[in-house]
Amino acid sequence: MIVSGTLTRIEACIPALRRYAAALLRNREDADDLVHDCLVRALDKLHTRRDDADVRAWLFAIMHNLFISQLRRAKARPAGEPLDETHEAAMSMRPDQENSLQWRDLIRGLNALPVEQRTVILLVSVEDLSYAEAANVLGIPVGTVMSRLARGRERLRQLTEEGEETRPVLRRVK
Amino acid sequence: MSDPAPPIGEEELHAHIDGQLEPERQPAVVRYLQDHPDIARQVAAWRAQREALRATFASVAAEPIPPRLGLERLVQQRLDRRWLPWRTAAAVMLAFGLGGAGGWFLRGGQQQTAALTLLAQQAVANHMVYTADLRRPTELGAQQRDDLARWVSNRLNHQVAPPDLSADGFSYMGGRLAATPDGPAGLFMYDGPQGVRLTVFVLPLHSAPTLPIQHIDYAHINGCAWIDKNIGYTVVGKLPLPELRRLAEVVKRQYDGAT
Repeated sequence: MIVSGTLTRIEACIPALRRYAAALLRNREDADDLVHDCLVRALDKLHTRRDDADVRAWLFAIMHNLFISQLRRAKARPAGEPLDETHEAAMSMRPDQENSLQWRDLIRGLNALPVEQRTVILLVSVEDLSYAEAANVLGIPVGTVMSRLARGRERLRQLTEEGEETRPVLRRVK
Repeated sequence: MSDPAPPIGEEELHAHIDGQLEPERQPAVVRYLQDHPDIARQVAAWRAQREALRATFASVAAEPIPPRLGLERLVQQRLDRRWLPWRTAAAVMLAFGLGGAGGWFLRGGQQQTAALTLLAQQAVANHMVYTADLRRPTELGAQQRDDLARWVSNRLNHQVAPPDLSADGFSYMGGRLAATPDGPAGLFMYDGPQGVRLTVFVLPLHSAPTLPIQHIDYAHINGCAWIDKNIGYTVVGKLPLPELRRLAEVVKRQYDGAT
């Protein structure tokens, strides 16, 4: 039966959905709320699926749409979110001392990127989506995916290196 | 040797990093990076960035899935809702598909709810489809009562005849074989006072628990359902609940007496 197969595939995607949500949202509780809503929505829409093709991209698309509408709602509220070093998912992974400052710059840089670039970078770099799949998930042309990826990666590289330049002494002293 | 290949674009450099470069462009990109150390350094930085991001978030995907995100639980929550919209039919089929495939999540009391839900959904669906069919609501009419009983019994692998509700003001119109995700079912139709249509629906279920008569409320249509010896029965019609329940008891008595 198609539906039961789909369920098994959905289940297999949950770790990746949690990872993506955690990378997007910083707060783990919020991230899992997003995954929860995504799964509920997916079960709602299960009957509209004709085949089992590309369950992963389908789920990421559902989550992306929820994330975007969440952002829109959040914009209506005064933003109180600190910009750096509150990324819980990232904080749970503490690299060795030598790399930790560089790594902190990376996370800070990631959070500073426009959402359009952040989503593309994460979907392609971390979630291993093809450019075509990412285009599908985000509802944009493949060319746009590639240009956002290029701009985002370069911007993130600059942000990371700026961070390094502002603390050369610290880096040397270790 | 002049280079006939198109120049390397930035997008190809990223495709190279992501393993999405077309294979025939691979040698050209590698050569280009060898010839341009400054660009090669930039590409190395992008690649390092990609690896760092992967490493940073890898631990999240390795964690056990928290209970509230367990799919089993989410599907159960849907099935547990008394009021089921049509779209959850998919979730019900899924319950049965997986239950048959090794009891993936049908356990304990859940089985009861799932069996009842399937029964209610299929009974109401067939009620709506066939009572609305003015030209041919039944496959075999009242005069072929015995033929229908034999046909349905054969297909259901269970002796089942249309109950007699004439003493209650419902005349037998005929019946048919109905299709459900769980196999064939028997549908018997009755004509009541003021033209109200009543259907009795009989569906063999696989390893379902015995359930007494209970109210089902599905897509704004009332009915009564019960399960006995792995056979699900329903009485469905636009009637007040007490009246439906009384008719269900009449039907149940007749079936209890027959087996």
